[in-house]
Amino acid sequence: MPVRVAESSAPSQVSGAHSEESSPPICSLLTVGQAFSGTQNVSNLQKEEAWRVNVRIQGCDLEHGYLCGTMEALNVPMADTPVVTFWEGEIVDAKNYTFYTGKWEATPEDDIRHWTKFPSFAPLLSRVEADGGKSLDLSNYPYIFMRWKEQYFVNVGTDCGLTIAGFYYVCFSCSDGSINGFYYDPNSSPFQKLELKCANEGRSGFSFSSYELQ
Amino acid sequence: MPTTTASAVCTTVGNNILLRLTSGERDVKLKALRELKNQIIGNRTKKLSFLKLGAVPAVAGILSDAVSAVDVADNDENDRIVKDIIVQSAAVLGSFACGFEAGVRAVLDAGADILIQRGCLVEEMPLLKSYMEVVDAGARSLKMIYQSKMAPKYDFLQEENMEFLLSLLNNESENVSGLGASIISHSCKTSLEQKLLFDAGVLKRLTSLLGGSLIQRDASLESIATIFKNNPEVVSQFVGPDTGRTLSCIIEIVKDRFARTRLLASLCLIVIRNASPCYLQDVGIKTKLINNLLELLDDPGRVGDEASFAFSSLIAEKEDMQKLAFEVNGVDKLYNHLQKGSLHPRRFEGILLALADMCSKLECCRSRCLSLQVLKLVVDALAHDSSDVRSAACMCLRSVSRSIKFIQNLSAGSFMNETIVIPLVRLLDDTSTAVQVAALGAISNIVVDFTTRRSTFIRLGGVKLLVQLSKSMDSTIRLNALRALRNLIFLAEDKCKEEIFMELTASLLASLICDPEPSVQEQALALVRNLVDGRINSVEYIFAEDGIILDAVGRQLRIASKAEIEIQGMYVLGNVATGKESHKEAVMDQLLLRAENKAQSCIIKFLQSNDSRLRTAAVWAVLNLTCSSSPGSSGRLVKLHDAGIVSHVKNMVNDPCLDVKLRVKTALEQFNSFDDSLASTSCLQFLTVRAVGELSHVVDPSSKEEESIANYFRFSMKKNKKKKSTRTVKFCFDVPADSL
Repeated sequence: MPVRVAESSAPSQVSGAHSEESSPPICSLLTVGQAFSGTQNVSNLQKEEAWRVNVRIQGCDLEHGYLCGTMEALNVPMADTPVVTFWEGEIVDAKNYTFYTGKWEATPEDDIRHWTKFPSFAPLLSRVEADGGKSLDLSNYPYIFMRWKEQYFVNVGTDCGLTIAGFYYVCFSCSDGSINGFYYDPNSSPFQKLELKCANEGRSGFSFSSYELQ
Repeated sequence: MPTTTASAVCTTVGNNILLRLTSGERDVKLKALRELKNQIIGNRTKKLSFLKLGAVPAVAGILSDAVSAVDVADNDENDRIVKDIIVQSAAVLGSFACGFEAGVRAVLDAGADILIQRGCLVEEMPLLKSYMEVVDAGARSLKMIYQSKMAPKYDFLQEENMEFLLSLLNNESENVSGLGASIISHSCKTSLEQKLLFDAGVLKRLTSLLGGSLIQRDASLESIATIFKNNPEVVSQFVGPDTGRTLSCIIEIVKDRFARTRLLASLCLIVIRNASPCYLQDVGIKTKLINNLLELLDDPGRVGDEASFAFSSLIAEKEDMQKLAFEVNGVDKLYNHLQKGSLHPRRFEGILLALADMCSKLECCRSRCLSLQVLKLVVDALAHDSSDVRSAACMCLRSVSRSIKFIQNLSAGSFMNETIVIPLVRLLDDTSTAVQVAALGAISNIVVDFTTRRSTFIRLGGVKLLVQLSKSMDSTIRLNALRALRNLIFLAEDKCKEEIFMELTASLLASLICDPEPSVQEQALALVRNLVDGRINSVEYIFAEDGIILDAVGRQLRIASKAEIEIQGMYVLGNVATGKESHKEAVMDQLLLRAENKAQSCIIKFLQSNDSRLRTAAVWAVLNLTCSSSPGSSGRLVKLHDAGIVSHVKNMVNDPCLDVKLRVKTALEQFNSFDDSLASTSCLQFLTVRAVGELSHVVDPSSKEEESIANYFRFSMKKNKKKKSTRTVKFCFDVPADSL
């Protein structure tokens, strides 16, 4: 979610580290059209604050470890309307992407520090420290790890006073579709938490739609 | 002063020549033949006018007479004239056939091909030394005929034909051996023919011709490619000590100074590589081929026109080749050619298709197209006079938009709207079916749009046209129109859905679900799946017109045998089952209806499918029907149990597919939540059973126990005649055990 520009008083952490739907999805709750809602904690040392957030998956290309969608932040104080961004995700599948980010000013230490905040990562830690998790077979693991990076604002200008410079470390639970994430941006408060649940939007049960790109 | 027109002069001259062709004097005839040859050579207009004057049958007649008149015992002078007449008449006929389809037709109609073959080749070849000129002339003419698609099919299965072919190939004359190679290139179509030719040993001779003259080299390259095309078996048999030599020879020829030869050599290697990917894996060779073809685009003639098609066949469906081509700036080079403008239609088509192949898998290529503003030129091509170009432009757009990231970027810019939509919508009405299908492909991608800009497409009448096309007699058009509609409806806003549904109508949707084509059925079901998703009131669409759509879905599920149809159908029912109680009950009715001769609900078959996607869809339907928050779920659970569905779900607890396993786990938790509410009735003791079983249990008929059980279970009562106070009660659930 976009955060306020350069407001954080925490020291910046500078250091070094597509449809196409050909194969079955890893998890039917992480497919195009699925919606999630919850909160993003944007607290800093000055005050506690949380925004309501809605996420929708729009694209999914498992072969290339790619995901994308929109994120909508409600009750953003400096915005008149909900703020919508378009994000792209990297699925950590040991084939296309590993647990090491290798960009976005995130060092391997930053990576481990964030991944270990997810309890479901604990059994994988030693292998990840050894080789980034390249030798792991995650296809039967009931959690999916991703990095989500917002690319641009969809409905507001870049002068809205918000930044999307960072990215999220994300853990998705295949069993109930819940999402937990931590926002990482060297210039923002650390470990701002994203917590989402699979939304069934007024229905009793889960409904699925699909498209096919030719 | 009136003067005679040019065409009148032509006709006069023409008539004069034709008159002299009928002369009894051989000298006059020969001179007329030479003049005719000089008139028509390289001149299409003259060929046409002489054709109209009946020149071809006349010359064929002369050839026939001359062949009959050949008599080696006659004097030398006569012999020479007759030979010259044969040579010149063969040359004239060959010239008529050269690059001129009407001429080929006339020559074939006059039976001149057989005449030449018999007269010049079959009979004269044994007399090689004296009649080399005749043989050569005949071979040259036949070669021109065989360059046309209309040339008769050579029957390789006839032994004498194969022998004749081999004698042609083994001949020293480049025209004769070239003819042999041309016959192969023209007529060898089936894998049987390829095998026959391979087994007859033609490859050895063809390989030696690679070192011959330019004509021999080019003809040989074409023939080798023809024999190997799409035939891995023949290619694999090619393995031997000679293989490396032949391949190296062809690789060398890729650098030949003649552009056509370079193209033919590249095509030959591409054919070998595509038939058997274990060959030519070296990155160096792959890059050489790519660079060679991109350079050949610079050739202004036919070679340049064809180079892009060769490039497409090299990279199509191969991500590694596309990556290599991208790294040598393939997209930019193709774009530079596009920018030249006033391209020959064949060249334009080829470049567009090459770009389509470049962008078929790689995001980097699509981004490059976007940044170079390639799309503007591609969109302009949508209005080209040539239907092949229009079709290729659509394929390019389809390829480039085969990526949600790209579509999102398109939407983020303002290119998406009218610039691209208007010409595409226009093509839905194109006179060419191929263009309509190609346009539908592009449209079905670009309408996957998450802003309100879909309304542009609707406003321009796009939906009306799509619906019209979904009623086409052509199943390909119906299918692609439905694909576009399905994508258009995905996550569509209520108003958009309503407009589409009003245009489509429930009865059309129901009939498309029951279309004779399975792939059309699949898309129709996928469309309905999307239609009933979204806001909860969308579910009502399926009940329109007395529920004919729902009935059609249920009917298809009961009779379908294709997994893709079953998956979409199950998701339709699963989606409807997330609605109100009445919606869920309607789904139950469909699921519990048996098909003819079937003992059980179709969903049981789906739960046992080998396809994990289908198992997932089926479990979701059960989950949605037994959602704990719905008041009627417990009743539905009983019915599902009685139908044997619940026990099948329970058997899936260790499903090999993680997604299915997790859904089953949730389902079991859901089922047990109903059992938990029973457990509060503590006066009863239950046994835990894994399957349906019977339990003798003494129940006081006057107590309330039975009544409370009956509220949750359906059971059959068998009165035991011996012990009136004992009833055998069938328990149908896994329930918590108290004691045994």
